[in-house]
Amino acid sequence: MFPSRQGAVRALDGLTLDVKPGQVFGFLGPNGAGKTTTMHVLLGFINATSGDARLFGANVRESIARQRIGYLSENPDTYRFLSGHELLVMTGRLFGLGGKRLRSRVQEVLDLTGISAVAHRRIATYSRGMMQRANLAQALVNDPDLVILDEPTGGLDPIGRMEIRKIIMDLRSRGKTVFFSSHELSEVELVCDRLAILARGRLVAEGKAAELVAPGESLEKYFMRVVA
Amino acid sequence: MTKILTIAHIVWLEVIRRKDVYVLLVLMGCLLATLVSLNVFGLGGVVSYILHIGLLMTWLFAWILAVNVSARELPQEEVRGTVFPLLAKPVTRLELVLGKWLGAWSVVTAALLLFYALVMVVVLARGGYARPLVLAQGFALHSVAVGVMAALAMAFSTRMNHDAAASLSYVVTAASFLVVPRIPAFIAIESGLHANLLMALYNLLPHFEVFDMRRRISFDYGPTPWIAFFEALAYGLALIVFLLTLAWLAYRHKRFSRAAATNL
Repeated sequence: MFPSRQGAVRALDGLTLDVKPGQVFGFLGPNGAGKTTTMHVLLGFINATSGDARLFGANVRESIARQRIGYLSENPDTYRFLSGHELLVMTGRLFGLGGKRLRSRVQEVLDLTGISAVAHRRIATYSRGMMQRANLAQALVNDPDLVILDEPTGGLDPIGRMEIRKIIMDLRSRGKTVFFSSHELSEVELVCDRLAILARGRLVAEGKAAELVAPGESLEKYFMRVVA
Repeated sequence: MTKILTIAHIVWLEVIRRKDVYVLLVLMGCLLATLVSLNVFGLGGVVSYILHIGLLMTWLFAWILAVNVSARELPQEEVRGTVFPLLAKPVTRLELVLGKWLGAWSVVTAALLLFYALVMVVVLARGGYARPLVLAQGFALHSVAVGVMAALAMAFSTRMNHDAAASLSYVVTAASFLVVPRIPAFIAIESGLHANLLMALYNLLPHFEVFDMRRRISFDYGPTPWIAFFEALAYGLALIVFLLTLAWLAYRHKRFSRAAATNL
């Protein structure tokens, strides 16, 4: 519940999601549906009025709960005065990595996200797509079991979107759980094992895309129908 | 501790790459060179005045740097949106506040060392002198004063944007410098409510004058007695702990605005 001039606003209402390990889970909804708020509750940035959020058995307010997760925020900006390499080293240190392990992990993630060639350039000189890949790299530096991506392809061109998609598929092949929100329905259809649709803070659909959508109906039409 | 040091390291890299310190250092060099070469007020030849004015500039520039850097660190994380990925890592808000303060304080202290070195180079070149012990005491207390300024600006910045936090910090610190040492004289001629209000103000505002050893350094009054030195040090550390505790209390449950990050 958030206070507003019109009284309390219920941002999320009785939301329960079933995300299995190793799955890519798509989280859809129109603007203001509560997708980012859900992620913020999950990450402990805000407290739910009732109920609690737990990750790997620990309360999300405890910093230890965030040890095994990677998060990419919807905002593409980052520390532009750092180089991509420095960003990953600093991030690794925040996860307690150091020495050889940190160096090898940083190189691995630079290779995975395809920014090795520009790793020692300041992020301020990166294109939007490269900056997004650097942000994604910092979300992966701790080799997380759960990766939470908030609109990872927002503002990217088709090539940039495809590259991010490839990274998500790669994470799935490594057995990682990916939970991501997007406005790109075709993308969700392409990469997600399961999806959930949120409207006005309530869950209106959850399951495999093929099971939810009626024969002859597109995901877009289905989406429009259930959020209306 | 590694997390606090890592956050402080990021502050260092930012300050160094924004070139704030270089600009102030060059400005100070120019002002000192002007002071020496133009013989302002006929005081060019009096080395103790060059030293005194040089130390005044170190106070002024360290003040500007401490308030500016500390007041922008936390609000900037929110505006840039980097606070979300940062707090999604196993970093507590206390560690974030401490790391930011440590980074701001240490980088300003390092800049302060450069400012002192520059002043001393000019003074020594003019045949002047300052006792190393007095200089060391003055630098240590100045560094603690910088820590207090940084903690104050950081406390304000937990609930304000950068501009508001910096402005308020400048007002409070300037009032502490200029007004607080004169309050006892006003209390002596006032009575009743006015005297009580002045006394409250006197106790509430930080006493930066206890950290200021410019006269002792410039006019060779000798070192501060060790008891007084350690009392000033303890007072400064207590103020820093108090202000950082306030900052953490204000920041620990803060809800961050997504609009700021996404420029909505």
